[in-house]
Amino acid sequence: MKKKILLKEQIKKFYEKLRENYNFYGPIEENGNIVFSKILDPEDIILNYYNSKIPPKSVILPQKEILFEYEKKGDEIEIEEPENIEEKNIIFGIRPCDAHSFYLLKNFFEYGEYEDTLFTRKRKNTTLIGIGCNTPRQTCFCTSLGGHPFKKEDMDIFLVDLGEKYLVKSISKKGEEILNQISWLSDATKSDIQKAEKLSKTAEELISTEIDIEKAISILKNNFNHPIWKEISENCIGCGSCAFLCPTCHCFDVIDEEDHYNNRGKRIRIWDTCQFTLYTLETSGHNPRPSKIERCRNRILHKFSYYPSNYDLIGCVGCGRCINWCPANNDLRIILKKINKIDKKEESIVA
Amino acid sequence: MVNRLSTIQEQNTKIEQLIRDKALKLLKEDEVDAIIGYSSGTIPFKTCPIIIRSEEDVDKLIWNNFCAMNLAKYLVPLIPTLKDEEGKNLRVGIIAKGCVGRALIHLAAEKQLDLKKIKMIGIPCNGIINRSQLLRELQQEEILEASISDDEIILKGRNFQKKFPIKEYLNELCKKCEVKSPPKIPDLVEACVGECQEISAIEQDFEDVSEFESKTSEERWEYIKELLSPCIRCYACREACPMCYCSLCFVDQKLPRWFGKTTELSETIVFHLVRAMHLAGRCVACGACSSVCPMGIDLHLITRKLEQIVKERFDFTSGLDPQIAPPMHQFKMEDKQEFILEEE
Repeated sequence: MKKKILLKEQIKKFYEKLRENYNFYGPIEENGNIVFSKILDPEDIILNYYNSKIPPKSVILPQKEILFEYEKKGDEIEIEEPENIEEKNIIFGIRPCDAHSFYLLKNFFEYGEYEDTLFTRKRKNTTLIGIGCNTPRQTCFCTSLGGHPFKKEDMDIFLVDLGEKYLVKSISKKGEEILNQISWLSDATKSDIQKAEKLSKTAEELISTEIDIEKAISILKNNFNHPIWKEISENCIGCGSCAFLCPTCHCFDVIDEEDHYNNRGKRIRIWDTCQFTLYTLETSGHNPRPSKIERCRNRILHKFSYYPSNYDLIGCVGCGRCINWCPANNDLRIILKKINKIDKKEESIVA
Repeated sequence: MVNRLSTIQEQNTKIEQLIRDKALKLLKEDEVDAIIGYSSGTIPFKTCPIIIRSEEDVDKLIWNNFCAMNLAKYLVPLIPTLKDEEGKNLRVGIIAKGCVGRALIHLAAEKQLDLKKIKMIGIPCNGIINRSQLLRELQQEEILEASISDDEIILKGRNFQKKFPIKEYLNELCKKCEVKSPPKIPDLVEACVGECQEISAIEQDFEDVSEFESKTSEERWEYIKELLSPCIRCYACREACPMCYCSLCFVDQKLPRWFGKTTELSETIVFHLVRAMHLAGRCVACGACSSVCPMGIDLHLITRKLEQIVKERFDFTSGLDPQIAPPMHQFKMEDKQEFILEEE
């Protein structure tokens, strides 16, 4: 399909057309923070943003999600599925790193014998219309993780911000179907395409962090008991801001809310994180991750060791949110660089 | 004494020198095994808490107006790194701005800390910058560099440079702070190194609170709802708080489950307000809870209200004297009870 042009002033028209059939999500400002939210007024969409505070995973994996509701009728229990699963969603304005996180999440939720159909069905019903990052942040390091500020493969439609307009390209069949519905998009010129290529190059050059992730992955295979975990967890305060702002963290807890008077109830999942004391606390009272040392180690190993060995993927997209919001400035880039300095000879192989 | 008339930048240089001199002396004379302080951060507005163990690392210790964390927190939980091979507590030095000193003293009053094992390196804090406020003012601009020059903070982005007067952009609690250097501990002068001050009581007005109180209850409720609605329950506020040291927080209690854990606004509000209740007469007004909040929630009015109630009801200010039992730790016949019993 030919590359098209969407003028910024046409965003409203674009939204009006698509919201007929889709829940249209996009970046808006809420209490001083950029978050992805269902757009009610296209004027609210923030277009010149770096990235959202809360990652767009929250659209299909919200912090609080009702898995099902139930009603007791005598001896029978009637289960009611949430209604919104089959609704179609568009996430507009998603960044390449966050779009890639959807791919990582999908691998987790459909892994093994028991697919999490609530997530995977929602994922199937969601279309990603993303925008390349003309100006990556200082803390961005997607290029070290196989990403790129203009990586389009994880999206359905990819936009490039050319100033007054967007260059529009459909990436998947889903994207093509959507663009076919919008007849009024003009064709892109050669100079538009050249400009986009130039922007991509400039963006790539702006990313100054370079980390040898393959090296880190191989070192992490053997250093479960290395003293480095003590060192890097020393100033961690044990909050969950890194995990809750992470686009790839997906751990959750399940709680029941019962309404005894009406014989009804809800089963709810809420975000959880390995940084919390309760996360691995066992019924017996034993906690296999009793201190910050084990918890910090788990967060790093999950992304850079367990993800590679389970799915042959890296569990981090390099968005830099954890770096920006860690209260103790426990910088992931520094942690990875420290790991890469572990001498082969010092490696402590787990017995 | 650090000259009070100098610029903030000059004060910072002097405070930093004071920190390094005292830290070096303590390590050299084998008075401590480790020192907890601040080191340079990797991103603008941030400093990184650090634990140093040798004289060579003394130059890593810094001071500026981004040293937001309350370092006393690192002495509360059982940090394995602050123990020796046999599991005994290390002798620790700690860089103490006023509120860090108050936190240490209050923790000692609650019998959580043995001050005899601690050297408090007192410094005259000149206030912590309100990062959230500045980020909000710059909206979506990315700040690449934040530095302090004279009495201004200079923020640099890709295409801009802006200056802000530091005094106007301090944390609200720092603006009201009356304990800039840590209190000298009456019976434990040897634990106080550096600049500490004799202080037995603080007198202050609570104008900022009365302004809020003059609003209608609906308006106040709206404020609380708007304030807390962005909360994502990451508990950074709790984890940064030196007084939140319970091994099991009320909100994590599962059997029975006392409080909801979702981000439903009613449950979020209950968490924050119950936490506030637990801090009555204990909060040392360091503002760490607000500084660390990734969503930019500023809890200072709740803190100030607590301070005011405790001051007016019990004539108590936390963190001044380890020998005085905090009001919630004792019962006095003359305590007001009109909220339980009608007074005759």
